[in-house]
Amino acid sequence: MTGHDHFLEQVTALLPALRAFGRSLCGDPARADDLVQDTVLKAWTNREQFQSGSNLKAWLFTILRNCYYSELRHRKFEIEDPDGVCAGQVAIAPDHDAKLHLRDLSRALQQLPVDQREALILVCATGLSYEEAADVCQVAVGTIKSRIARARDRLVELLGDDAALVAGPPVVGALADVDGATEPRSGGL
Amino acid sequence: MVMSEKIKPGEPPETAATSSSEPVPDWLTSRLRRMFSDVMDEPVPDEFKALLKQLEDKERGS
Repeated sequence: MTGHDHFLEQVTALLPALRAFGRSLCGDPARADDLVQDTVLKAWTNREQFQSGSNLKAWLFTILRNCYYSELRHRKFEIEDPDGVCAGQVAIAPDHDAKLHLRDLSRALQQLPVDQREALILVCATGLSYEEAADVCQVAVGTIKSRIARARDRLVELLGDDAALVAGPPVVGALADVDGATEPRSGGL
Repeated sequence: MVMSEKIKPGEPPETAATSSSEPVPDWLTSRLRRMFSDVMDEPVPDEFKALLKQLEDKERGS
């Protein structure tokens, strides 16, 4: 019984990470929190299957991911949207635009196929190793790596201008010096 | 950036090495991390506390 209390304590401690993972997967805060609720319930119901000492975070991510996938499958029936075009638009959080380029990143992530998106998030944002991410997605490590490479290429393509901004523009320096406003491109929004 | 080249026994060797030798540029990694940590820094909504409490009570009851 104390073991179970400990389990719930650990789950509680991982809630922030689960919410962040859910939100970066689906792009929508409310939907993400629904996913996390489902995840917590499923984890608790199946808690006997969790081997203590193994990675609870990876286990919970796996459950959340499965919840997300089954939700995607159901949505396919609800919306005639085989290419995920609408899903990508629905998924954007309309009131989360305090930070412009973070929202752009969120939007860009939604342009990726879900398998590339999850691989990139798991390894680059959550801090899981390639091996752990491969376990979560139930594929080989090499598959995770190639998905990340493809995700990277696409994001660099989508956010490339931003990247130049962050890194410091190499050529437009003379213009930027005038008033310190380093915004060679502001037509996006 | 972590770049482990471990290959699990019994698994085929890495085939995508050509394009993943430089995995993800730093600017992208740091933006992904920030996006993630921004959510992690948010307070957890009360509905989750209620849910956990409910499960805890269930456990005690059984």
